[in-house]
Amino acid sequence: MKPSRAQLGDVLASLKDPALRYADVRFTATHHQDVRVRNGEVDNLSSDVDRAIGVRVLVGNGWGFAASSDVSEESLRLTAQRALEVAEASNIASTETVTLSELEPHVATWSSTYDIDPWSIPLEKKIDHILGATDPIRGDARIHQVTGDLSSYRQEKLFASTAGSWLEQTTTEMGGGIEVNAIHDGEFQRRTYPNPFGGDFQAAGWEFIERLDLPSKALLVRDEAIALLTAPKAPAGRFDLIVGSSQLALQVHESCGHPTELDRAMGLEISLAGGSFLQPSMLGNFRYGSELVNIVADATLPGAIGSFGFDDDGVPAQRFHLIDKGMFVGYLTGRDTAPSIGRKSNGTVRAESAARIPIIRMTNINLEPGTTPLADIIADTKRGIFIDTNKSWSIDDLRLNFQFGCEVAWEIENGRLGRLLRNPLYTGTTPDFWRSCDAVADRASWQVWGLPNCGKGDPMQTMRVAHGAPAARFRNVEMG
Amino acid sequence: MRSQHDSETILDRALTAANTPEADATFISTDQNISRFANSGVHQNMSEISAALTLRVIVDGCMGVASTSSFDDEGIANAALLAHEAAKHAGPLLNFSGLYRGNEPTPLLNTFDPKTAAVSPIAKARALREMFDRGRDAGVHFAGSYATGGSSVACANTHGVRRYATMSSADATVIAIRGGESGYATSLARHFDDVDVRALGDEATFKATLKAGVADDLQPGAFDVILEPPALAEVLEWLNMIAFSGSSFDDGSSFFVNHLGEKLLGENFTLVDDSTDDSFMPFPFDLEGLPKRRVALIERGVIRTPVVDKAYADRLALEPTANTWHLGSSDHGVAFHLAMEGGDATREELIRSTKHGIWVTRFNYVNGLLEPRIAQMTGTTRDGTFLIRDGEVVARLPNLRWTESMVEAFGRIEGLTSERRRVGTWFNHFGGTLAPTVKIGGWNFTGKQELAGA
Repeated sequence: MKPSRAQLGDVLASLKDPALRYADVRFTATHHQDVRVRNGEVDNLSSDVDRAIGVRVLVGNGWGFAASSDVSEESLRLTAQRALEVAEASNIASTETVTLSELEPHVATWSSTYDIDPWSIPLEKKIDHILGATDPIRGDARIHQVTGDLSSYRQEKLFASTAGSWLEQTTTEMGGGIEVNAIHDGEFQRRTYPNPFGGDFQAAGWEFIERLDLPSKALLVRDEAIALLTAPKAPAGRFDLIVGSSQLALQVHESCGHPTELDRAMGLEISLAGGSFLQPSMLGNFRYGSELVNIVADATLPGAIGSFGFDDDGVPAQRFHLIDKGMFVGYLTGRDTAPSIGRKSNGTVRAESAARIPIIRMTNINLEPGTTPLADIIADTKRGIFIDTNKSWSIDDLRLNFQFGCEVAWEIENGRLGRLLRNPLYTGTTPDFWRSCDAVADRASWQVWGLPNCGKGDPMQTMRVAHGAPAARFRNVEMG
Repeated sequence: MRSQHDSETILDRALTAANTPEADATFISTDQNISRFANSGVHQNMSEISAALTLRVIVDGCMGVASTSSFDDEGIANAALLAHEAAKHAGPLLNFSGLYRGNEPTPLLNTFDPKTAAVSPIAKARALREMFDRGRDAGVHFAGSYATGGSSVACANTHGVRRYATMSSADATVIAIRGGESGYATSLARHFDDVDVRALGDEATFKATLKAGVADDLQPGAFDVILEPPALAEVLEWLNMIAFSGSSFDDGSSFFVNHLGEKLLGENFTLVDDSTDDSFMPFPFDLEGLPKRRVALIERGVIRTPVVDKAYADRLALEPTANTWHLGSSDHGVAFHLAMEGGDATREELIRSTKHGIWVTRFNYVNGLLEPRIAQMTGTTRDGTFLIRDGEVVARLPNLRWTESMVEAFGRIEGLTSERRRVGTWFNHFGGTLAPTVKIGGWNFTGKQELAGA
């Protein structure tokens, strides 16, 4: 079922083209197991095993890629030949010279760590756990639906390249969360814990689900969902806004992670996802945010789902600044894009599986914590709003104009949290927003959030990324 | 693409491995080639041959689903084991009357063009090269993608239902860029000959160069808007998720809830799910094997029905609508062939009838989760936003943000074109959206794209 190192080596050796400059071959076996409960019943249980091979070649200045779900030796050989044929086609319509940044060959094995293998936990125990977490929420007539999710993920990956690399990597992850829909008098409210869309995710095992402690949070989620039904609507106007860690993680994702992808800045992703306002000429001289804003890409962070040993170019995982004291200083790059800005790849090229072309993807893009306790920031806010947990997200094709809706907000009056507010949303322009940041909370509020559903590419590739973020305050933000 | 015999053999083996009176399975194989281009050069080019088997078992009214890409005995046995393990722990499906048994004939449709399924990457590269050269002459460069391929789709169940069809598709999007200005064109068809990338390049170039250098600005506010099919399609795709699906109806978030049979939208708004129209993206059955038919979701503004899979048709006591596109999917029904009725106008007539308005080519990053009970959405415009004054296009506008309730907006349609266009989307491999250009009064623009103080 899994090709051997010799078989992948044979595939590379079979690529006979005098203009061949580079080739790699990948195999992935991706396992998903999803458990969803709904109103006290198991709503969905599914398991998926996907195996794929992919061969990528650079012939002259034309890239070719071919993939198959048939992972047999014969299929490997045929897939490699198709990759050469595709590269021949690319050369007809390629116009730019492809330059690859230097790369040391690596022979290595890497695995994410866990204490308790997700697949060692019987399904029955997973179901009992998530039913136990969601059952206490039911019973109130205003609670229309309660759901709970538990997800297990594992990807085994083999990589061999003509640069001499041989890499074996395995990532294991778990995720979980609960969601409550409350309805009364025509009002609909949704509240989740710890995050919407399946909850939070870590490169970990069952111990992560235990740490989430879903059962102890259930009643709080229920009570907030009910309270939101009759809470006053969040006001429109300009306010000092304290954004909680969960929502700020998504703000980082949309307004810093994506615009610092160099392929976007070069126009390579413009047809689907768009471009970036952060152009190479702005590197090192553009004030992206206030001096308090430090954002790093860190693919080495243990437990975060954007971590790995080597990217799909075979470049080692790295940690580096994108924003340093508010200045734009770095892009996420790959071997074929980094030379355009005179740099070496910083190892951020990944594919969803071996059936997809590796492209630049976020790793773990983290807003570094500040030094002020969150309680002090709230106490220092005379009139403002505390907002958290994403409900709706939208940003323009250059990643400038954004609007975020959140599940929940609270008034801040004279340094104290006040009334709960429903349907809050805020809007702004990326650099104006980050430049208005005048307080970043300390590590006590800093948390890493796993987002397993970042979309990019064509065909669309869903990538697993993460964001560490504390709470932070932004002055004079437009709401409503 | 796998033959009918190969597909049915794999399905039969899966149903045998299921070893239960109620089981169904799907087997889908796809050969596709996608050429992506940017800066008038192909930079990503892929060919993929893939196949996947999904097996669903029903045991004592409980459902379990497993998928695999391994079709040897061990792979299929493992899938059956996983599906049974899932069913063993699942709760019984509410009011479930069992898997589909009808086995009625499916509509005869023209779903497959061998030429489209077999078009070579080299032929596509030559067509793109020609488009790039024409763009150079016009002072623009291009970005986009050009996908072609074919799939075999088969499903079967233990009640004797057997379905098999092949389908081809060609799908291209083209963005023309000159300086900071851009234009867009897209096309989708079952037949390669109906997707002419050179013509799309010309259309995108027209949009990129229209009123070039003539820029205007607007303060946020309500404006009459003319939405072209790609813009409308993105909104309709979101409605699919937040309003039309069985799950959104059941969880209470859809604006359909408590309003079936009521008129909530305008008299001139009719939306159907229709894969039986040969001029759209025809396909004869859903993946539970039910024959496809035309289903009205909203008819002259009246809410008719959400779309459901068999389990949710039983659960919600609704007529089955044949809208399963993945066994066990949590959406419990999704409309993959949305067709909005047109009117009798031309696009030029809609523009001429507009005193002060905005003409929008497409939207970017729409999100429909703000307030689903009124289908409030937000998004921005891109690749061609124009100001109309006194019936004339007078200037280009920056990309604009809007926030609008679709329940309200589709009650304010002032005109529709008779011409409709097919628009594809990344998550829908079976169909797409067929939409006219519409004029809507008082669309709420709330912001714009700008980089101040750079």
